[in-house]
Amino acid sequence: MDDIDAMFSDLLGEMDLLTQSLGQETVPPASLSSTNKETNYSMSYTDLNDSLYELEDTDLDALMADLVADLNATELKLAADMQGLKQPSPPPPDLPPPPQGLSPRPTSSPVSPASPAISTSSNVSTPTSSTTSPLPPPPPQTTKPTREEIEAQMKADKIKLALEKLKEAKVKKLVVKVLMNDGSAKTLMVDERQSVREVLDNLFEKTHCDCNVDWSLCETNPELQLERTFEDHENLVEPLLAWTRDSENKLLFQERGEKYEVFKNPQNFYLWKKDKKSLKDMKDQDKELLIQENFCGTSIIVPDLEGVMHLKDDGKKSWKPKLFQLRASGIYYVPKGKTKSSRDLVCFVQFDNVNVYYGKDFKGKYKAPTDCCFFLKHPQIQKESQYIKYLCCDDENAMNLWVTGIRIAKYGKSLYGNYKTADRKAAVGSAWTNCSTPSSSNPSTPSPTIRAKSPSQANGHVPTRPPGPVTKDFGNVPPPPPPPPPMANFLPPPPPEPVRPSPPPLAPKSSSKPALPQRHLPTNFPPPPPTMGGLPPPPLGPPMDDASEAPPDFLPPPPRSTGFGSLPPPPMNSLPPPPPPMSMDLPPPPPDPGCLPPPPPMFTGAGAPPPPPPPPPPPPAAPRAPVRPSGSVRKVPPAPPKRTTPSLQGGAGGGGDFMSELMLAMNKKR
Amino acid sequence: MSAWDLLVTVEDLGSDTPPVTLSVASDLHVGGVILKLVEKTQIKRDWSDHALWWEQKQRWLLRTAWTLEKYGIHADARLVFMPQHKPLRLGLPNGNTLRLRACFSSSVFQTVMGVCRMLNIRHPEEHSFLRPVEEKKKKKDKDSAEEIYDLTEVPLSSASRPCLYNGMPAHFADSPQMEAIYKMLSVTQPPPAPEVITKQFRPASVVDKAHINGRWLDSSRCLMQQGIQENDRVWLRFKYFASYDIDPKYDVVRLTQLYEQARWAILLEDIDCTEEEMMLFGALQYHISKVSESEPQALSSSAAMDDLESALQSLEVKMEGESSSASEMLENMTAPELNDYLKIFRPKRLTLKGYKQYWFKFQDTSISYFKSKEESIGEPIQQINLKGCEVAPDVNVTAQKFLIRLLIPAPEGMNEVYLRCENEQQYAQWMAGCRLASKGKSLADSSFQSEIQSIRSFLAMQKTSSGSHGNANANDESINPHSLVSPRYHKKYKAKQLTPRILDAYQNVAQLSLTDAVMRFLQIWQALPDFGLSYVVVRFKGSRKDEVLGIAPNRLIRIDLAVGDVVKTWRYNNMKQWNVNWDIRQVAIEFEGNINIAFACVTADCKIVHEFIGGYIFMSTRSRSKSDTLNEELFHKLTGGHEAL
Repeated sequence: MDDIDAMFSDLLGEMDLLTQSLGQETVPPASLSSTNKETNYSMSYTDLNDSLYELEDTDLDALMADLVADLNATELKLAADMQGLKQPSPPPPDLPPPPQGLSPRPTSSPVSPASPAISTSSNVSTPTSSTTSPLPPPPPQTTKPTREEIEAQMKADKIKLALEKLKEAKVKKLVVKVLMNDGSAKTLMVDERQSVREVLDNLFEKTHCDCNVDWSLCETNPELQLERTFEDHENLVEPLLAWTRDSENKLLFQERGEKYEVFKNPQNFYLWKKDKKSLKDMKDQDKELLIQENFCGTSIIVPDLEGVMHLKDDGKKSWKPKLFQLRASGIYYVPKGKTKSSRDLVCFVQFDNVNVYYGKDFKGKYKAPTDCCFFLKHPQIQKESQYIKYLCCDDENAMNLWVTGIRIAKYGKSLYGNYKTADRKAAVGSAWTNCSTPSSSNPSTPSPTIRAKSPSQANGHVPTRPPGPVTKDFGNVPPPPPPPPPMANFLPPPPPEPVRPSPPPLAPKSSSKPALPQRHLPTNFPPPPPTMGGLPPPPLGPPMDDASEAPPDFLPPPPRSTGFGSLPPPPMNSLPPPPPPMSMDLPPPPPDPGCLPPPPPMFTGAGAPPPPPPPPPPPPAAPRAPVRPSGSVRKVPPAPPKRTTPSLQGGAGGGGDFMSELMLAMNKKR
Repeated sequence: MSAWDLLVTVEDLGSDTPPVTLSVASDLHVGGVILKLVEKTQIKRDWSDHALWWEQKQRWLLRTAWTLEKYGIHADARLVFMPQHKPLRLGLPNGNTLRLRACFSSSVFQTVMGVCRMLNIRHPEEHSFLRPVEEKKKKKDKDSAEEIYDLTEVPLSSASRPCLYNGMPAHFADSPQMEAIYKMLSVTQPPPAPEVITKQFRPASVVDKAHINGRWLDSSRCLMQQGIQENDRVWLRFKYFASYDIDPKYDVVRLTQLYEQARWAILLEDIDCTEEEMMLFGALQYHISKVSESEPQALSSSAAMDDLESALQSLEVKMEGESSSASEMLENMTAPELNDYLKIFRPKRLTLKGYKQYWFKFQDTSISYFKSKEESIGEPIQQINLKGCEVAPDVNVTAQKFLIRLLIPAPEGMNEVYLRCENEQQYAQWMAGCRLASKGKSLADSSFQSEIQSIRSFLAMQKTSSGSHGNANANDESINPHSLVSPRYHKKYKAKQLTPRILDAYQNVAQLSLTDAVMRFLQIWQALPDFGLSYVVVRFKGSRKDEVLGIAPNRLIRIDLAVGDVVKTWRYNNMKQWNVNWDIRQVAIEFEGNINIAFACVTADCKIVHEFIGGYIFMSTRSRSKSDTLNEELFHKLTGGHEAL
């Protein structure tokens, strides 16, 4: 929280700098005075800022909107502000420059009034937060040219940080209930930026499952009788936001064999025409080659699928057979009386705007010829509609072929990337689960408390985790439990990609080839080298990267909680700190010799007194978070039981209500 | 040993000059013959590139230490003394012709290597020479008008890699003319006129496609041996569709030429694609030609930067990026928006009512509308969030119809909404806004202006193509959409019908950089089901009818001409061995599991088929570690046939 405050004021400083530079050009005279003016001006903002702290949790959006509206509304207001500023600031100078600096702002005024009006939509956060940025142009600027560079650098850094923080503030968060295989449920908070992969990792940690690659998050929609496995690279929040408020959709944590089947047995997809027996006996090396050919080239090759499927007529319960073909660009069908040549094909659907779903029990629901149905629809469609395209296959195998084929066409390389990551995770995970899982299991029991818990947990664990032990991961085979500290799945899976490391041994073969007479080629001739090409044999490089990146990624929302003004996880301790950081951060500008006068007022006026009081309100709620778990969650979301839509600044109205409700609930719990 | 007379024609003396007569003995080595010959001609010049060519036997006498006896040369031999490097007219994938000095005495494989080195194309093993298809020379004049880019002055070098200057081989930096040639090589050509496409030969069947493959030159023999004479024409083409290790930074020419070959393959329907794919290819061509026009140096200059320069530049970009993020913030404050009177129509809901006018406001990713401008402060009648929606144009410039069709997703399905704009200007802005919003970007996005631009240029395209009158000053903005698609679609669609379809596909690629667009084009091409197949008509052993063998980078396929369908696929990695019986010209292949096939080749020599299979196996042996040194020996082992042994 203090963080964001600091960032905020930094940002203000930056804005000032920008406006100032504008101003300076036009008002060359006394740079000193001009800076003063600005600082004065900023004062008012910082004041506002302070009060902001108080309200942040409840009504930040509204406040921001008002604030900006106020600022922009009239000159009167401006004048008033200036007055207020004059008191604390010694050198009051003339007023002209500020308006200049501000000139862009008035234009934004239409925005702010509008935003509350639109607030019903969850998107509102964008406008509001953008309005926050203009706010404050306080801190003075250096006058010494020599320092300019350094300062500029510092400012640049800060602005970057500030921007990041701002972005963070915009982040939407959802509290979701995930149904486990055993019928139980776990509740987690997911933020907008988290990928399904991260959420899965999170769940691995909570459940201590074997972490194999089949574990997936699936959505079900009882109304459409659909089921879909989220892809690991997708963001979880977005599809969830498409659910209607009253939907009975569920989010499941399950093992889904078909998710990565194509990488385990590529021959079943790419050579499906061949007889089943030869496919079954496929050598690993040949499988690997297939993957190389189809996923590691310049372009992804989609399985060559062609076959009759039944298409459901619009609005009717009749199904008509058509000869369909899958291509990278979409699904096509052969019109009656035409040939199968590409030019005659009619496009049935392209994949840009649709997802593919499994349909459950369509025989009963739509009188489909078989129960092996899938369909394509825009992810936002949640109810029956003519825009959903239903297809029915003869058997399950065909259905899986098609659905997988469509996924390959739609997601391309990311699918393979997902698999590789999942496979690495699985190797590490199995190592972990093999060795008895000690203490770390406890934290996971109170599932929903992520906010409070995971941060501390994560922080605690990360350092203790030596990256070394994890290095062993060969396929899914649980390696002899190394002596790794048991605590996490977070572990960076450093070493080689677990994908079968066939290449090296083959290399010699290829080199020996030349010696052979051209007529008699050695068996298995071609395969060796290609494997080498695509799969860098020295996998040490990339994994290292992963290793270094991984931990931060997985630490779920801890750092992010900053954006969450109201509920800072370890806020108790941080309560006192806020002021110091404030002053720490604000000062950087002041110290500059040039602008002596302004800084002091800044401190006294803005930084010190007001801020301390405001923070308190939130903390009482926050620390209690740990206890709040299930009960509160159930209570919070009024209509939809499993998830609560808004969060932070989500909707100006809705978000705030939710937050306060949440706090209330927590308090009561306590 | 007794001396006898040897007749040697010296080519440089002219064809009328009678052969020079030398008195030689059989134990004289070839070097000695040359020495005598040079002395006798009494011409002082650099003869180092010259060698003796034995006409009857069609072979070069390149081993100067060998004696005449060892070569088996007697008094009846007619020898020609001539340079090994001679001018050759080289047809490039982009349709232009280069004149350059190529080696006529080494294997075609090496000659191709030399040519590629000169042109700065990496991985020459993927290329080969093709005998050109004879053009029906109805109009001689047109042929003579053809521009030939002359590279014959380029000194021959043996360096494996030419030294680069400014991103191009040093010899291209010599003069503006040379630089122009490099530009021709490295920058994509503008779309050809529709007539040019229609005039060219288009294969109508897979058998037609098979014929071209009978024209590949033999890699293991030299040009002279294959009847190619000085100043003859050959085509340089990508033969093996296993593009290896493409790096836009180093492969400017290679990428450009690969793109050109792919583009022509699509325009001439050498490879089949669907209509949707054709539109996307058209859109990409349009985009590529646009971008390369506006930043012709983009490709080459990026390669041109040396390390320091590039570091500096990227730093600069970074700084710009940073400051722009700040300025973006400022822009955000002023949150750009569009406001205007537009007409709206909902085909679903109120079919009876027509378009109704409202005051529209476009903000962030949403459109809201009000009864009038005056009421726009209050609650809108409706607000529509466009994120994730489908946007389609429905425009007819001559009829002044500017319609934006929106398909907006909602839980219940998709809602159709049409927005009608008054004029081009309005349309371009709102359309651009809708496009961005559908991708979740707001009007503040930096691509907004360029989006407007591209919509406008497409409108211009429609204008010029619909009214072909006047427009003499044909501003370069206008491209005939028929230049972007194969002739089949010239018949199917009028230009103005084609424009919106291409535009539709264009919106997904409009923001790509030049390199990305070229790469995207190649990727889509490579993802076509028939990609990489070279066809040969064959007769399988025991079969009475012709069938087609398709040779792909990883497999062989058998196509039944009657069915027109793939009946069998064999993958190389299951191949145990293959043999060529040169006497009966039959290729026999054995696969794992005791599968044996044998066939005779009808439209191509079996050496060509043999070379294709061996070549692809060679391509698959390349690995990153030794990418710089080409294992030529292995290539010949795999492709050479019995002559190579």
